[in-house]
Amino acid sequence: MLFPTVDFAIFFVLVFVGHWLLNHQSHAWKWFMIAASYVFYAWWNWRFVFLLVGVSFLAQTGAIAVARTRSLRARLIVNGIAVTALLLPLAFFKYYGFLAVNVTNVLSSLGLESSIPLIQVVLPVGISFFTFMAIAYVVDVYRGDFEVASWTDAFLYLSFFPHLVAGPIVRPNELIPQLRERRDERHVDVAGAAWLILGGLFKKMVVSSYLAAQIVDPVFGDPAQRSAPDALFGILGYAIVIYADFSGYTDIAIGIAKLLGFQFPRNFDRPYTASSIQDFWRRWHMTLSRWLRDYLYIPLGGNRGGERRTYVNILITMILGGLWHGAAWTFVLWGAYHGGLLTAHRWRARHGAKETREGWLDVLRQRAATFALVCVGWVFFRADSMETAFALLRRLITGWWTPSESVTPLVVVTIIGMLALQFWPRGFGLWLQSGLSRLKPAPLGIVLALAMLLIVILGPSGVAPFIYFQF
Amino acid sequence: MSQPRAPEEGKPERQAGSAAPVQYARRLMPAGRVLIVILVTLLAWTLLYAPTLKRAAEASPIGARRTVSLALLRPISAVSDWIGLNELAGSIERAVGRDQGRPGGAFVPPPEDIPLTPEEEEDPPGNGGNGDGSTAEADSIRAPTTERKLRVAIVGDSLAAGLGYFAERVFLPRLVRVSGQGRISTGLARPDYFNWPYTMHRIVDRFDPDLVIVMLGENDHQSLQDVHGEREARIGTSEWPPAYRERVLRMMQIATSRGAKVVWAGLPISADFRLRDHSKRQNEIFEFAAGISNDVAYFDAWDRFREPRGGYTAYFREGKRVILIREGDGLHFNAIGYTILAREIAKLAVEEFGLSPRTFQTAI
Repeated sequence: MLFPTVDFAIFFVLVFVGHWLLNHQSHAWKWFMIAASYVFYAWWNWRFVFLLVGVSFLAQTGAIAVARTRSLRARLIVNGIAVTALLLPLAFFKYYGFLAVNVTNVLSSLGLESSIPLIQVVLPVGISFFTFMAIAYVVDVYRGDFEVASWTDAFLYLSFFPHLVAGPIVRPNELIPQLRERRDERHVDVAGAAWLILGGLFKKMVVSSYLAAQIVDPVFGDPAQRSAPDALFGILGYAIVIYADFSGYTDIAIGIAKLLGFQFPRNFDRPYTASSIQDFWRRWHMTLSRWLRDYLYIPLGGNRGGERRTYVNILITMILGGLWHGAAWTFVLWGAYHGGLLTAHRWRARHGAKETREGWLDVLRQRAATFALVCVGWVFFRADSMETAFALLRRLITGWWTPSESVTPLVVVTIIGMLALQFWPRGFGLWLQSGLSRLKPAPLGIVLALAMLLIVILGPSGVAPFIYFQF
Repeated sequence: MSQPRAPEEGKPERQAGSAAPVQYARRLMPAGRVLIVILVTLLAWTLLYAPTLKRAAEASPIGARRTVSLALLRPISAVSDWIGLNELAGSIERAVGRDQGRPGGAFVPPPEDIPLTPEEEEDPPGNGGNGDGSTAEADSIRAPTTERKLRVAIVGDSLAAGLGYFAERVFLPRLVRVSGQGRISTGLARPDYFNWPYTMHRIVDRFDPDLVIVMLGENDHQSLQDVHGEREARIGTSEWPPAYRERVLRMMQIATSRGAKVVWAGLPISADFRLRDHSKRQNEIFEFAAGISNDVAYFDAWDRFREPRGGYTAYFREGKRVILIREGDGLHFNAIGYTILAREIAKLAVEEFGLSPRTFQTAI
């Protein structure tokens, strides 16, 4: 079920009523929310509900087994088995086809026949997200950071519908305690939630849809024939599209959770204002960044094994992070590129200039350089093949004599406007929310309806799936 | 009597150590009132947007969902009309540059955005397409020059939309101008929703294509309606195939009316076996209709992209290399798939209509 649909609106009204009516009956409330979340998930494909149940069962069984094991070594082994078992469905659904094609082609180039069946495995929506949350749960129990939850808490933690299909990746200690407590039905932050939901809808349905259709899809579809301005604004446009699409989704998810009395962690913090690549990863998909740090980089040894080992760990983490986004060499290269940038940044911090210049021009230069580097990475992230990516980058140099087809004043204004919003004072949004919260329910509802109408009118008909659904 | 005020929350996030300004505090609401906000929002939005919602419901496939939607939306739309909200919504739509009821967004290129070919570039009607007035090679597509590029229109549903994007990778832009005219969720079954014959006329009149590539039919697994929404032939009955064939022939006739050649691409095999029988029957109709005119060739996408034993495969063997060409939905192609599809269609146009091989590239 997509958030910006009539189906979801009806679903949410029913869930909202049930949620607050059962708020005082913890057990019944949990079962109700599990059922609602499974209905939400089954809307795509009911068969994959069994997968969600299976992953939840594996996570809970693994966590119990880890908690009950006394010896440290045995705990490590049990934890390893549980994490491997959780990774197996993800590996099969996400990487089988990629592996099968590459093995077949390598063998074929050697003159050998491959017997690997070439089947296309349908990727269950959200599998990457709930698998990572399941791993976080088991590993936190292993580390002693979190006690084993009850079966219902564990199942609800993994299936809770606001985060289910595209995050944010919520940690057990952030959500499970909230599941155990009674929500305060007297104090719902409706203005904050409405701001997030409407802002998310605007980013997704207007900005992302417009730029994708107007410039990004045409430019990435046929980069070799495009002019340099087309290529440049196609890349800049995609930087905005991926941000508007994904942050739009998580804003809606966080807003919906807020209406139900839950607090989710932030996932984006003005990423294009980052002044270094390290800063960028503190601001972009923050819940994934910290997951990669806590459950991959640190277990690999983090920075404890010396300088060289640290660089290797960063590279491994980022390459696997890239592969998490999709089973393609372009994602591997994107991950390696960011790993390389982070490594270079770290090396420079250790061996480069000791004094940090902080004049406004230096900050501007650092921000511009970081944004440019991030945009180069987005080319590999978006391109359907390496050839497409390199063809587009080539056109930035060779395409200045070709007339532009897709750069319109509105495209330029939209891109610049969205970038400028990253620097907009927070106070403005807070002031608006504060004003909204002072309205009575009926006027507030009418204001929100008019805002929704404007978003729907400005956006194209139909709703394209969110980009991060495929991850 | 004044109501008790709920405590305030929502201090703006600030860096640690800084104080939150009180003027931005948000007032919180009890859940019951939030429900009123949600219901008022949805009701007001439904009233404001009722005509468009009703139109979308009318366009959806016939079935229980459509019936229920229309049963709910018709009275709401009438109420909206009666109290004038319909007009208010229409004014807002017009103010942002969008006509009510028209698919597409205010800023998204509208579907009728068909490129206009200047008169001096057009071919005299009915001359077979040589453009220079000669009729010696009336059965062939004219040889393009950089001054007078070949015009290729790609029309149809979402498959054609994808094909249109990636055909630009295949056809060389210095010799060929590609106009992608794919419209998602369209077909020949529901002219009440999208009128393809009318649109085809406009494409032919404005763009005057030399080659038209048609790929549609995946949305036609339903009863046929006329432009007023009245049912013409129920799906699964003996009336459906001849009525559908008439519509296909009409499209072909319009497409070729100014001398263009047509490659009609059949439906590719899909992963969903429930669609296969019907798709096969549609392909038989396409192939039969194409056989009637010398100006139309049928491209068999089914056989071209199936596995050797006849079933569905998402992969394509190109020499020694295996390539994933289909999307996970088991119907659409991915970027490389559409590129291969465009190239294969171009090759057929070379065989059937003498399309110059220098107008496209064969390497993927």
